[in-house]
Amino acid sequence: MLAVGDSTKLEIIFSTKRYKNRVTKRPRIQTNEGPPNKYVQIVSHVVERPDSTYPVIIRPYKLDLSQFTQKVRDKITFEIKNVSDMKLDLSLVSVPEGLFELDLPKSVKPGGEVKGTLKLKKKAISESFEKSFTIQLNDEKKSRFTIPVKRTVRMAGTPGKTAVSNTGSRK
Amino acid sequence: MKRLIGLLAAIILVVSGVSSTNAAPRLEIPETVFDFGYVPQNSKISHDFWLMSTGDDTLKILKVVPG
Repeated sequence: MLAVGDSTKLEIIFSTKRYKNRVTKRPRIQTNEGPPNKYVQIVSHVVERPDSTYPVIIRPYKLDLSQFTQKVRDKITFEIKNVSDMKLDLSLVSVPEGLFELDLPKSVKPGGEVKGTLKLKKKAISESFEKSFTIQLNDEKKSRFTIPVKRTVRMAGTPGKTAVSNTGSRK
Repeated sequence: MKRLIGLLAAIILVVSGVSSTNAAPRLEIPETVFDFGYVPQNSKISHDFWLMSTGDDTLKILKVVPG
């Protein structure tokens, strides 16, 4: 229920499975507003070989921050290689709130390589999740790349999600 | 004079009744399309869309049907 003037977020999760090429999904939102129904739409280009995309190649193309020991894993780096002949500016267009912060270089030279860093927020250290973030380039097509981020927290003898924070206390 | 006051009161009641039955919920979605661009196979990706209640009655989200 949304009171007049209120707003809320609707998270749409897409499992890319073995899809190929352009995939569009259009979930329908049914409310007491009545017809016509309203829709949101997601568009994606599912690639079989994410290690040979253009104009950049992102490695690793999936980020896994899973943690199976007491040692906290809260940071991961990734590389963005520019395989085009123009300087590319990078911008972040979508990132889930409250889970992690991204340090993304502003640009990457032709043929060059830069590093980005994803760092978990403190409150997300005990969380297991599967999310993603999306970056956009300033090439002619305004190419976008979405990088999945997965974190499973499981420790020996504890089947549930349990983690140790930076201070060493059990959460 | 009494008749006139009575008539005015009746009109006010009718008008207020009409306006309350006209109250309607309204869903506004500022961004309806999101392009993920290139994504790898066998992954889960997600995006948050904002839903706003901009009508003059409470909005109930009954169901979201996968497309």
